[in-house]
This record gives sequence, structure tokens and C-alpha cells, in this order.
Amino acid sequence: MTDDELQQRLQAHDPAASLPPADPTWVARLLEDAMSADQSTESPGTRGDSLAETRESGTRHRSPLTWLVAAAAAVLIGGVGVFGLLNNDRESGQVPSAGPGPGASVSGAPTVTELAAGAPTQGRCMVPSAEVLSNAQVAFSGTVEAVGADVVSLTPDRFYAGEVTDVVEVRTEPAMMQALVGVVDFQPGQRYLVAATGGEVMVCGFSGAFAPRLESLYVAAFPG
Amino acid sequence: MADEETSAAERRARFEALAPELVESLRRFLARRTDTATADDVLAETLLVCWRRLDEVPDAALPWAYGVARLCLANAQRGARRQERLAARVAVVDPPAQSVPGPGADDGDPRLDEALAGLTGAEAELVRLWAWEQLTPTEIAAVLDVTPNAVSIRLHRARARLRDGLRKIDGLAGHEGSREGRTP
Repeated sequence: MTDDELQQRLQAHDPAASLPPADPTWVARLLEDAMSADQSTESPGTRGDSLAETRESGTRHRSPLTWLVAAAAAVLIGGVGVFGLLNNDRESGQVPSAGPGPGASVSGAPTVTELAAGAPTQGRCMVPSAEVLSNAQVAFSGTVEAVGADVVSLTPDRFYAGEVTDVVEVRTEPAMMQALVGVVDFQPGQRYLVAATGGEVMVCGFSGAFAPRLESLYVAAFPG
Repeated sequence: MADEETSAAERRARFEALAPELVESLRRFLARRTDTATADDVLAETLLVCWRRLDEVPDAALPWAYGVARLCLANAQRGARRQERLAARVAVVDPPAQSVPGPGADDGDPRLDEALAGLTGAEAELVRLWAWEQLTPTEIAAVLDVTPNAVSIRLHRARARLRDGLRKIDGLAGHEGSREGRTP
């Protein structure tokens, strides 16, 4: 028996021969899991940075106590915020300008949706799903007009969710601008799909450069 | 910070370009060596290692990834064996490591399985990498982390032993044609 014949006999007996190709969604999820599961280990740009945790440096090994404290802090901050708003209302009788609120339109001038970039997320990214995306209050596709020091302005061409406006501005502190640009990679003249909840742009793969895959996610999340 | 964000994006892009084609080959690699559930676990583990060690992935990524998968699988099987031992509380000495017949053992060539089982674990793995993954000796060397020369010699020997084994088994079956049907 030659080597070739032996190889053929073995190949005829290949247990993987009947293995169907993997479902692309399953593969995508698998890859996303690998990339996001790793946020706990080290920042990819390993330069021994002991800075605060970023998306890359992750939160996997945090103790439950940390989360508890974080949750308590969030509740406290939320409470103070609400208290402040109520107070403000009572004293001045003015409607507080909800800074990063969705659909804050101005009549007359071009209507603007203002969104905040928010800090880079502390939690793990989940696999972008239409189900999660459908919770977005604002979702649109649009072209970046300008990337400023603290604002990215986009001209939307389609709103999947939220009030239709002429312009969308994503505001962020100048210090955070690089982070935002890094996460979503806003480039002037390019088209993007952007979603936001609570006035903050959703990152972690929910917002990004216009791509058929992302678009189909938006279409699935906002049918009709 | 900008650099880090950029490099993170580049890393992702590189992984996303590299990994999908690895996944398909790795799935097959694992399907040939273990059950479905273990294969899925080990695949996830292997991808995680590839992501973490992305900077070390050579241009010929696949043999390298097979090498990673092989070690991850060995770890998983070691863990599984340990659990089995604990659960069963078997008081006997473990039998010496034998090559495990592929999971597809029931579809077809029992004589080949028998001949493969007659090889040592290392020999059978060489034969599998050669015949099923269809790797060259140099690639096999990358998987097993040995020299290509050693692979060539050992593979040659393993094939010769497999051929011998098959000849014996086939010959035996030929002579005892009436009893062939009893083979499971």
C-alpha cells in the first residue's frame, strides 16, 4: 500500500467529513466572546499602565462587593440628580435643559438630536443583538459632517428610532473625544449607524461604520 | 490613549480577519479527536488563546492554532479524566496511554480503527495530522513543536507501522472471511 493509498483510506474514514459548516452567527458570537472575555487580562497596548480600568482592562475579576458599591453609588448619584432636577423645577419654574436627552429639538433652526458619548463602558460587551438594540431610543444612519474638539455632528439620512431631526450631535468632553473616536472611529464624510439609550451612544458594536451586517441588525431591531 | 484605542481597533480587525478561517479548520480538527461538547469548549478556549497571543501568531497561523488546540484539548481531557477517576474512585492503575479511536469509529472502517489503535498515541497523532489535516512535515513540526526532520522520520515509521497493522488485520480478516461479520 503506497502512502497515497494509505492517506486515501484514512481520509475516507475522516470523522470530520460529515461535519456541516458552522453557522456564521455562531462563529461571529464565538469570536466576539473570545475578544470580550479577554478584557480582564491586559490592555492590548501593554505598557504596564495602571490607569483606571478601561474597556480593555475589563472587570472580570472584580469582586461582587465592588459591583455592589458601584450599584449603590449609581443609585445615590441618580437620586441626587433627580433631587436636583426637582429642586431646579420648583425654584426657577424652568424646564431643565436635559443636556444629553434624546430628541431635544429646537424649532426654527435646524432640529438637532443631542447625544452624549459617555465614558468608555466599564462592563463587558455583549454580542450585539437586535433584541438589545431595539431598546435604543435613538437609532439612525447618517454621515459625519465634522469632528470637532468636543462634538461630532452627523447628518442623518434615516431614523430607525427617535424623533427625526436635521442634525445629530454627539457631544463629549474633549478628553473623551479620542476614546469616542477610537471606539466608533468617526471620520468626516463617512456613513455610520448610531444608536443611543438614555441619550448616550451605544458602543460595543452597536454603533459603527455603515456596514450591511450592522444595517441588517438595525432593520431587525426596528422593523417597519 | 489614542494610540491604544487605535491599536485595540487594529487588533480586533486583525483577529476578525484571521479567526473565521481558523474556526472552520479547528472545528474539524477537534471533531476528529473528541466529542461535540468538548470540541465546542476547546474551540472557545483556543480562540481565546489566539486572541490573547495575537502578536505571536505566525504567518502560517493554522499549524500554530492546531498546536494551541492540541494543548487545550489535552488540558480538557486531563481534567475530564481526573473527574472520571474521582467519580469512579477506581483503585486500579491507569492503563498506559493508548491512541483513542476517532469519534467516527462507527461509520465504516473498523479495521483501520484497530490498526490505528495499535499505534502509540504520538504515532496516531502524526498520522492524523498528515492524513486528515493534510499537513506537511514542516507544518506538523509547528503543531507538535518538534523539528521537521524528527516529524519526517517518525511519520515514516508511523505509516509503516500502520500499514503493517492493516496488512495483518486485513490478512486475518481475509483468512477468516466467514467470521468477518462478527466485527462490530
